[in-house]
Amino acid sequence: MTADAAKPEASRRDVEPPAAERTTQAVAEPASVAPAGQPPVERPFVALRPRLSPAEKGSRLFFLVCAVAAMGQMLLIMVFLFGEAAGLFLGQDGQPGVSLRDFFLSEDWYPTYDPPAFGALALLAGSLSVTVCSTLLAGPLGLGLAVYLACVAGPRTREWVKPAVELLAAVPSVVLGLVGMAAVAPFLQNVLNLPTGLNVLNASLILTIMATPTVASLGEDALTAVPKDIQDASYALGATRWETIWKVTVPAALGGLSTAVILGLGRSLGETLVVLMVAGGAAHIPLSVFDSVRPLTSTLAAEMGETAIGGRHYQALFALGALLFVMTLAFNLLAWRLSRRWRSGR
Amino acid sequence: MVEPVIAAREVDFWYGQFQALRGVSLDIMDDEVTAMIGPSGCGKSTFLKLLNRMNDFVPGARLAGEILLRGQSIYGPEADPVDIRRRVGMVFQRPNPFPKSIYDNICYGPRLVGIRKAAELDVVAEKALRAAALWDEVKDLLGKSAMELSGGQQQRVCIARALALEPDILLMDEPTSALDPIATAKVEDWIREAGMTIVIVTHNMQQAARISDRTAFFYMGELAEYGPTMELFTSPKETRTENYITGRFG
Ligand SMILES: Nc1ncnc2c1ncn2[C@@H]1O[C@H](COP(=O)(O)OP(=O)(O)OP(=O)(O)O)[C@@H](O)[C@H]1O
Ligand SMILES: [Mg+2]
Repeated sequence: MTADAAKPEASRRDVEPPAAERTTQAVAEPASVAPAGQPPVERPFVALRPRLSPAEKGSRLFFLVCAVAAMGQMLLIMVFLFGEAAGLFLGQDGQPGVSLRDFFLSEDWYPTYDPPAFGALALLAGSLSVTVCSTLLAGPLGLGLAVYLACVAGPRTREWVKPAVELLAAVPSVVLGLVGMAAVAPFLQNVLNLPTGLNVLNASLILTIMATPTVASLGEDALTAVPKDIQDASYALGATRWETIWKVTVPAALGGLSTAVILGLGRSLGETLVVLMVAGGAAHIPLSVFDSVRPLTSTLAAEMGETAIGGRHYQALFALGALLFVMTLAFNLLAWRLSRRWRSGR
Repeated sequence: MVEPVIAAREVDFWYGQFQALRGVSLDIMDDEVTAMIGPSGCGKSTFLKLLNRMNDFVPGARLAGEILLRGQSIYGPEADPVDIRRRVGMVFQRPNPFPKSIYDNICYGPRLVGIRKAAELDVVAEKALRAAALWDEVKDLLGKSAMELSGGQQQRVCIARALALEPDILLMDEPTSALDPIATAKVEDWIREAGMTIVIVTHNMQQAARISDRTAFFYMGELAEYGPTMELFTSPKETRTENYITGRFG
């Protein structure tokens, strides 16, 4: 609501900053001279304009260029992605296009067979399975950590727990992938007596390690942004610390907390290297967390090198990319909506 | 002599190394409005927060002396801060409703003490809102977010929220300083007519004169003068008090 109200204000400012903010330059316009004996048609007026120093003009131009460049990149990527993807569905060189129905509802992904099959369902299921499982783990874990850091830990404990969490976020995904391959996989295989330790569970565990710091640090920001005076009000009504956390602080931060979880989810959905290394790579719809899967991202990474540019396989991979893009966009929009919705409490 | 609601005896208080209160002794009497005035930083808020143990959250806070609530020590070994905060309500300087509905704001305290039945909560909420003179204005908007009310209404929601626990005494720290004159007048009217024990910190001397029975003048951590409001304002015993109320400093 606040953002809505602020928007027109902001755009108006681009054109004409309020006079109070800047020195104004008075530009005198000559009054149109009325012929003698007749009343003047117009009174003299002064047009008020902000006076911009050359530095201000320059920086304004610079930021405009940045904004245009960012929008342009976005647009180019979309055009490229969707343009190449469209070829798969429209067909070319006398070959019929793949129907949307086959793409979304078939789980046969045999891009190199003759005739090839381009069903994305199994890959989509692969992406969703690891994303959902890791979010189910990283969500509660990250939120718990956020509550701990923001509301429970003393300054001393915070001082080393927070950097530790941030360090975890900085570990390159390839390193985590190696851990998954070399440590988690054999462990799962031996302990649970599985044919392979490279499966949904393994990928989800590693993705959880990656997503937890994201959820925790965004969640902590949301919780620390809750005004202290409503927490004081709660204490003054005889609430204990835990009652205050659960009944006041967490509800007031709900928008930010759900955003944190969704962005953590986005992190898992987009992660490529880890799933390429530890998810097993089988293009099947998983029936349990012990099955191997082949998420969209790892399919793209693994197969792009083998395709002929402009070929159908190439186009199909772009279609997967477009699908991933749309999903990521949807989650980001959702996160944005949620954080706005709860800004001032319902 | 009647027993005071609150009796402070030789209270010294420190924030770490800094001594904010020195030897403060005063009695707060039943059903009276007690105003606390004094220059900024003289320790009014500090003293007020000692009465409901809100200073417990300040690291390094230390207290000497004794504060009794109806004869029982607030800081004694058997005192329960949660129970004390329920008996000593507080309204803050800036309206601080929870980002919840008006109804949920009022019912926050009662729910904490275990009242769960909707019928009971309805009764409590109506009673508290009536007591805060807000019922007629909001009775049809109980489900609306308290954040959407005007500042004055928000402050009275906060008063009602405190009253819902039926406290023995209500502490108010500059409750009208964020309000416009009309909203201020409404809160002042309420204070005058509430007929309960209220301790109010204010920077507004006219306000203290208008609404309080007794006034305590704090100066640099000490209780410089304490007495019936009329006397304190018309014939102060201390020159410090006289200088302050005539606007010579502060
Ligand atoms: N949490 C704190 N930690 C350290 N010192 C504090 C703290 N709170 C207040 N003080 C100090 O204690 C003194 C008394 O503060 P207090 O807030 O009680 O003043 P006050 O009389 O309420 O002033 P005002 O009228 O400006 O609200 C001040 O010097 C202040 O700097
Ligand atoms: Mg104060």
